Amino acid sequence: MSERFSADILVVGAGPAGLCAAAEAAQYGWKVTVLDEYMRPGGRLLGQLHQERGGNWWNGIQEAKRLADSATRAGVEVRTGVSVTGLEQASGVAEGWDVWTDSGRFRGRQLLLATGAAESAIPVPGWTLPGVMSIGAAQVMTNVQRVRVGNRGVVIGMSVLAMAILSELRLAGIEIAAVVLPPRHPLSGDASIPSQVFASLLRFAHLAPRPLFRMGARLVQPSVLRKLALAGYPKRGLKLMGTPLQLRRTALEIIGDGGVEGVRVADVQPNGSAIPGSERVVEADFVCIAGGLYPLVELAAVAGCPFRYIPQLGGHVPEHDERMRTPLPRLFVAGNITGVESAKVAIAQGRVAGLSMAMSMNEAYGSASVEGRRDSRGAELLDGENALRGTASLESTNVLRGAASFESENAFRGAAPLNEKYAARDGAPLEEKLQTALEAVKQARREALIQFQPGIVEVRQEMYAKSR
Amino acid sequence: MDDRDLIVCRCEEVTLARLAETFASHGCSSREAKLRTRAGMGICGGRTCRPLIEQLTALHGGLEQDATLPLKVQQPVRPVTFGNWGASS
Amino acid sequence: MKPGRIREHPILGPLAASSAEIAFTFDGVSCSALPGESIAAALLAEGVRRLRDHEASGTPRGIYCNIGHCMECRVTVNDTIGVRACLTPVAEGMDVRSGRRLPAPFGHSPDEDQGRLERTER
Repeated sequence: MSERFSADILVVGAGPAGLCAAAEAAQYGWKVTVLDEYMRPGGRLLGQLHQERGGNWWNGIQEAKRLADSATRAGVEVRTGVSVTGLEQASGVAEGWDVWTDSGRFRGRQLLLATGAAESAIPVPGWTLPGVMSIGAAQVMTNVQRVRVGNRGVVIGMSVLAMAILSELRLAGIEIAAVVLPPRHPLSGDASIPSQVFASLLRFAHLAPRPLFRMGARLVQPSVLRKLALAGYPKRGLKLMGTPLQLRRTALEIIGDGGVEGVRVADVQPNGSAIPGSERVVEADFVCIAGGLYPLVELAAVAGCPFRYIPQLGGHVPEHDERMRTPLPRLFVAGNITGVESAKVAIAQGRVAGLSMAMSMNEAYGSASVEGRRDSRGAELLDGENALRGTASLESTNVLRGAASFESENAFRGAAPLNEKYAARDGAPLEEKLQTALEAVKQARREALIQFQPGIVEVRQEMYAKSR
Repeated sequence: MDDRDLIVCRCEEVTLARLAETFASHGCSSREAKLRTRAGMGICGGRTCRPLIEQLTALHGGLEQDATLPLKVQQPVRPVTFGNWGASS
Repeated sequence: MKPGRIREHPILGPLAASSAEIAFTFDGVSCSALPGESIAAALLAEGVRRLRDHEASGTPRGIYCNIGHCMECRVTVNDTIGVRACLTPVAEGMDVRSGRRLPAPFGHSPDEDQGRLERTER
């Protein structure tokens, strides 16, 4: 069997990070294939719809199309509807990665994992009934599939994410009877305690004086939160686009025969304890559960990548440096898999990863004009066993090959100046572009008005300082 | 709320009561709880309940949050039929 | 009342008008979808929420995550099992079937089975 490479660079995940990384790397002449199991490219970006500070709308479908088109124009092959089942380091040929999918095996020299985040649930009795879905599911069904998730729903879980998606559902004309808290049990934690939920929402008010963010509505403005504070947890709840946010009400159980018919709720004290005699049933035919997001790292785990547990980033994240390199040779990460942040951060990280991969491809396989590589070099690289062509010093190449720790990666940094050799089409040296891209990530992070967790800037700084 | 009414692992229908009783009887790690109850071993590969099992393990004092994932991830990470498995190798 | 589709949207605009409806069946019942719709979306638009029954307990299930992670929406399509309805675009003539509860080797519930296994262990 031929040991041909399918591509120079494989990317798993056609979300904002994966698409941007692919488009970037492809500009330097590398053949890039992106794999995604969804029907369309865009990842979680697809469902997003909100107003930004200036009043303009961030339309995820349009943004995703823009990114996918950029990638395609740069020569990237984007394969949707492909599920990755596993991966391993390619054996028997010059180094690479084999990625196994339900559409066969793909082999690439370098691999970027940009699989994003998954939703973590808060279980509620009755949550397996048809009609109960994660709040992300409702977002996709509404904005991407344009199907009504039901006639009247209840959202369980009051987080910033929940309120953002609530606004999107309301914008689409979906009726939501109430947003309530999850029931008190060992897995709901602070999410079931009104005073804690309120405190975490109020954190965003402290980013004032400017309005925090507008997500299609007058959402989470300081004035709304101040009202909440002044009102001292009103039982009836404050309304957001017509839906009461009921901080003092908890869902006890989702009920129905064969599917959701209602939610049994009860009032609670600010400390979460139930108020006897307050039980009632809210009629509904769908329920959205709003937990949180956690990095989807399963492929990094099967690759053997080490992890760090960082709660501010959503849980376990693969070890990586600022340039999106993991300790494993030729394995990169970008986007929410590195920690849950915003789409703009994912886009900026994708650019970094693309540049980083292009630079290490140049380092290992040499540089030629972009046109030359595409026409002839590209084919040679994909076919041949002799991967070492016109490289810089062997030393730096060996560093790339053998590197399992960041220390030897530092040797790569100290190698002979690469600037002149690896000039991009527009003449700017790659290293310089990379520095600009790194700065852009920090900028995107600073500008992100929603930080699902505080402390992200600090933990990132600490993580990247350790990896130097 | 009755813990027997709260499903934690949807795929295998493992309840909070079953998991709590397992941790209490065996003082175990998340991996052992998974092996004993099947929580996290269903067809979704733990994608839905993994954070919940880890949370419960931490509550029962059995979790080390470090460089390795408490619950191992095995390939294939998506279900594969035997027919396809044979064809693609 | 069948929830239906979101035909108009103040920001996303109107749903692309298309006369090209795609016919398929779910458990033998005729359904239709718009181009590009997932099986799950097309069924939900018709008010169908139940996509399968749990293999052991028989409890009804429908979509949960809607992006292919949770596997709850798995259906049989043209005799292929385990197809995620949320990820699969409807194609003309698709025969989609819901999964049912399977015969249990010992008891009728996972707890009964577990009980039997534990008694055997002792």
